[in-house]
Amino acid sequence: MNPYEFNLNMTRRNFFNGMGMGIGAAAMSSLMGPNLMAEEKRNKFGGLNELPHFPAKAKRVIYLFQSGGPSQLDTFDYKPNLAKQFGQNVPSSVYPEERKTKMSSGQKSFPTAPSKFKFNQHGKSGQWMTELFPQLGTVADDICIIKSMHTEAINHDPAITFFQTGAQIPGRPSIGSWLSYGLGSENSDLPAFVAMSSRGSAKNGQPLYDRLWGSGFLPAKYQGVKFRNQGAPVLDVYDPPGVSRGMRRNMLDALAKLNNEKFQNSGDSEIQTRISQYELAYRMQMSVPELTDLSKEPKHVIDLYGKDSQKPGTYAYNCIMARRLAERGVRFIQLFHQGWDHHQNAVKQMPAQARDTDRATTALIKDLKARGMFEDTLIVWGGEFGRTVYSQGKLTKDQYGRDHHPSCFSMFLAGGGIKGGMTYGETDDFSVNVAENGVHVHDLHATMLHLLGINHKRLNFKYQGRRFRLTDVFGKIIKPILA
Amino acid sequence: MRIKFLIFLGLIGSVFAESRVSFNDQILPILSDKCFHCHGPDEKNREADLRLDTFEGAVEGKALVPGRPDKSEMITRIHTDDEDDIMPPEDSSLHLTDKEKALLSLWVKQGAQYEKHWLFNPIKKVTAPKIKNSWANSVVDKFILAKLELEDLVPSEKANKNTLIRRLSLDLTGLPPNPQEVENFINDKSPNAYEKVVDRLLKSDQYAEHMTAWWLDGARYADTDGYQNDRYRYHHVWRDWVIQSFQENQPFDQFVVEQIAGDMIPNATLRQQIATGFGRNHRINSEAGSIPEEWQVEYVADRVDTFGTLFLGLTMGCARCHDHKYDPISQKEYYQLFAYFNNVPEFGTGPNNGNSPPYIKIPESWPNLKPEENKLIVPEPMKWQKPDKKQNAVKRPVPGNKSTLMVMQEMKEARKTYLLDRGLYSEPDKSEVLKPKVPAVLDIVPGKKPTNRLELAKWLVHPKNPAFARVMVNRIWQRYFGTGFVATSENLGTQGERPSHPELLDWMATKFIESGWNMHALHKLIVNSAAYKQSSQMTPEAVQKDPKNRLLARGARYRLHAFAIRDQALAASGLMVNKLYGPSAKPYMPPNIWKAFSNNKYVQDKGDNLYRRSFYTYWRRTIPPPTMMNFNAAEREVCEVKKDRTNTPLQALTLMNNKTFVEAARFLAERMINEGGSTIQSQIIQGYKLTLCREPSANEMSVMLKAYKQFEEEFSKNEKDAEKLLKIGEKPRDKTLKTPTHAAMTMVASALLNLDEMITRE
Repeated sequence: MNPYEFNLNMTRRNFFNGMGMGIGAAAMSSLMGPNLMAEEKRNKFGGLNELPHFPAKAKRVIYLFQSGGPSQLDTFDYKPNLAKQFGQNVPSSVYPEERKTKMSSGQKSFPTAPSKFKFNQHGKSGQWMTELFPQLGTVADDICIIKSMHTEAINHDPAITFFQTGAQIPGRPSIGSWLSYGLGSENSDLPAFVAMSSRGSAKNGQPLYDRLWGSGFLPAKYQGVKFRNQGAPVLDVYDPPGVSRGMRRNMLDALAKLNNEKFQNSGDSEIQTRISQYELAYRMQMSVPELTDLSKEPKHVIDLYGKDSQKPGTYAYNCIMARRLAERGVRFIQLFHQGWDHHQNAVKQMPAQARDTDRATTALIKDLKARGMFEDTLIVWGGEFGRTVYSQGKLTKDQYGRDHHPSCFSMFLAGGGIKGGMTYGETDDFSVNVAENGVHVHDLHATMLHLLGINHKRLNFKYQGRRFRLTDVFGKIIKPILA
Repeated sequence: MRIKFLIFLGLIGSVFAESRVSFNDQILPILSDKCFHCHGPDEKNREADLRLDTFEGAVEGKALVPGRPDKSEMITRIHTDDEDDIMPPEDSSLHLTDKEKALLSLWVKQGAQYEKHWLFNPIKKVTAPKIKNSWANSVVDKFILAKLELEDLVPSEKANKNTLIRRLSLDLTGLPPNPQEVENFINDKSPNAYEKVVDRLLKSDQYAEHMTAWWLDGARYADTDGYQNDRYRYHHVWRDWVIQSFQENQPFDQFVVEQIAGDMIPNATLRQQIATGFGRNHRINSEAGSIPEEWQVEYVADRVDTFGTLFLGLTMGCARCHDHKYDPISQKEYYQLFAYFNNVPEFGTGPNNGNSPPYIKIPESWPNLKPEENKLIVPEPMKWQKPDKKQNAVKRPVPGNKSTLMVMQEMKEARKTYLLDRGLYSEPDKSEVLKPKVPAVLDIVPGKKPTNRLELAKWLVHPKNPAFARVMVNRIWQRYFGTGFVATSENLGTQGERPSHPELLDWMATKFIESGWNMHALHKLIVNSAAYKQSSQMTPEAVQKDPKNRLLARGARYRLHAFAIRDQALAASGLMVNKLYGPSAKPYMPPNIWKAFSNNKYVQDKGDNLYRRSFYTYWRRTIPPPTMMNFNAAEREVCEVKKDRTNTPLQALTLMNNKTFVEAARFLAERMINEGGSTIQSQIIQGYKLTLCREPSANEMSVMLKAYKQFEEEFSKNEKDAEKLLKIGEKPRDKTLKTPTHAAMTMVASALLNLDEMITRE
């Protein structure tokens, strides 16, 4: 600090006191200069003090990410008229060349491939859904289908990164990291943000990447903890073979004494933090096995999710685990189910993927409802993009493939703050473009944050001199779907 | 409010009339952070046609009337209560403090003078402050002490010799000293005992490796391509080159020039060409269906961003889609810089496993090239894979195999560079072909303007370049004190923090240049200073006055880097295998680390490769080693020059339960028993020496002894448990040791490896 600044502080204090403007010494001490900026204030959950900006409709999120890009044409975007156009070329005036990937853009023709699957209406709302989702039909009145999603990326990696972090390039925090940074955790023994993955029956699942649950430029403590498919769900959470709990306790007691002595000598408060992190680790060692012990789940609940729910690494298991995590106050529960990338053999692969997920997705909704948690849990279902209306590869009477299609696709939302039993947005006759009420990825993010009581424009973090948001400089709240 | 405001302005006049506000230190940070987003250099997105980043712009619309805050619209608007008029606007979530408002008013009163941001001014020749205190025995110390005296702070006493040699060894080599080295140092009573240790460490291979690990983060080195299936590449020869350069203490300017443009140096050697692997460290996309033009643009953009962050300390990437919001860098200038790097004969879609062209075949003799082999190899023209029907006829280049290395190369005919609207490959502004040009604000280097990549590299390291030497000195300082002079070492632009010691930074930058960019000399300037040797002990008073230790009235105390934490455990346990160079190693990873959510399988190595230094660990970008990530290692997806240090329960779980650390505890215990004499006490003392480079206090000894007895008692009752513990890790144990004893000592050793002091450099 230069001598002038010192002078300024001193004199201004007198000056403001004289003016009766009531600026206390605390405020003054923060005037010391740019290097001594105050830490942000945090509430009892470890969230930002200013949050929520307004009362939240949802306390937590369960995001059921369907990795690979499920076909909107075979799930929610019902196009009965396409049947008549089977095999007809989709003209380039409708689907321009430069919007196709290099996997199919060189094809000689682009034959229209109507869905092989029947569509039915469900519930009082009469929502249209594929016959592949019979279970989901039973909760049709609880979910809000968005048919007009659109995104910018056409390849998996940038597209999925965009969905999870709001940017196609790496280095940005994932949604869950933003939420745990902003809202903190309601359970000090478990992470605020947990990610889980499962592989579908269809082969060749798209890979996932650590950055999808990473904290980007936010401090690493806000990153998602990836629960593993096998062995200890949290890496190294179990003591090594041969080490008893009693021994671990003895070691921690010794460590605490030694670390405390170090603290007395060095005066570094970071050591006290370390001591408490070891205690937290010890508590996690107990809470994780309790979390994953399904033996006390009643039979009717297991039946609801199906018998796969007993098998770690399956989608059904992750769904029941999601509910258990939600019950224990985990803020953001991110599932990834791989295997929706059906360039070929879609007619065979779609039913398999649907079988993996339909029952458990529905069970999760019903289970949350039965526990009174549906109202404050936001459920999101969807992939990183949709699929083409034209067949990739040869179209036959019984088979087609579909390439990536970012310009329109379907998702659904349910639970906290969402209007059930409605469909939002429309696509054109070919399901090539959004016809009305388009919802961009940034809009989805803005709406998710809104439901959690966060103004997406005001949750930001300064990095490299710039204030970053999940929604960049975009995003509008989709008001018509709010309850 | 209006009346209050007028009184306020009047008072400013009377109270502060004599003190001069510093534009650079006090005003620019406010303007930049609170105003430039809408009223800054970005012309297209400028609000109300008002710019506040130049004097002319601010005065033109009467936003500022020099000398007359009462007539200046900006001053009125920042003070108003009117929701519609207030600046910054309510919905911007920006807010001016009363002090900031007062400073702005005062600055206008004093004439509203503008200056260039400090980084864009020439490096100043400064002389050290005159200090009489004998503590300040080096020039560095004089600058530090002058600042401390202003704040009424006194430096701390010198750290003890045990602490000093551990600190020095960890800082310079990333490894702890062994007990013999500690003892030698303590017994060496000669006046230059310390300097001798410094010289020994700087000459060691471990120093070169440690510097390489540092360089790899900024250079975004990895063993895979980074997108989607994250295919394998073979690039370790470039890493070997970095190690060798640090071994030779190559002048740092040459080190950088060769990496940017070694291929273009007249009569370039093969080694110089290998250096350019740097420019190919970016991620490469092999995803089927990717559009090659899109990704080729991404690769060049990555080179530009890396160049900006690593060498200029600027966030160049911000100007890719629009003019920079804060720094005076236009979007056009971004693409002019882009043009230097846009001339590589590369293809946007990767080969799907293996190296992407251009690449060269590395002679088998590497790293010991024969003189006749040390000549540039012209890469062969790109060849194409036969389209595979299953792969949907995606066009891909033929990959380079394990014996190749990706390098930079210039095309004979330059690829045309255009400004890309919103940064999109598909939106080039074809009205103008952009020629290579450096940003005007940095263009204060005399002589010919750089027209190609080699000339750009030389421009960068020119002694008159205002950014390069400062950026590098700042980052080296950060290595020793945990924080740079500029704490935001990733951004020294207008939105970055102001340097804590601007004169010292310039003095050191000048010294670095004058030494012939001698990295050893730069290290010595720092580690030989009294400031560096201070004890890191904190007193409540000093912590209150300077909580973050920016003024350095004490030594720095901070958690070690992820790599150092593992390496230290390997070194203390005697497991470490010191093998220089070569392909990456695949040590222990959790079961199915890759297979669980990707389409590849991790095949762990056996034997020596389990115990090599951590920076040799195979770096898969999309699934980096989880234990390293728990301790904040850089992801290596893009250039990173600073990471936080967090303190989390996952770190505790890693150190207590991870195979690497349990195995290290086993072998540390063996050493304690085998080298520590016959009593449990003497063995525990040996453990302290091997890990913390000191002997335990009486209290520490009693705590450890008690713990040992508890462990020993339990393992004696359950010998099977002891056996289980002693089987963790692949290296078999010394079977002559009694099982319960060995297991109990393993738990004591594990406690040592978990101590805060162990993972902290103090």
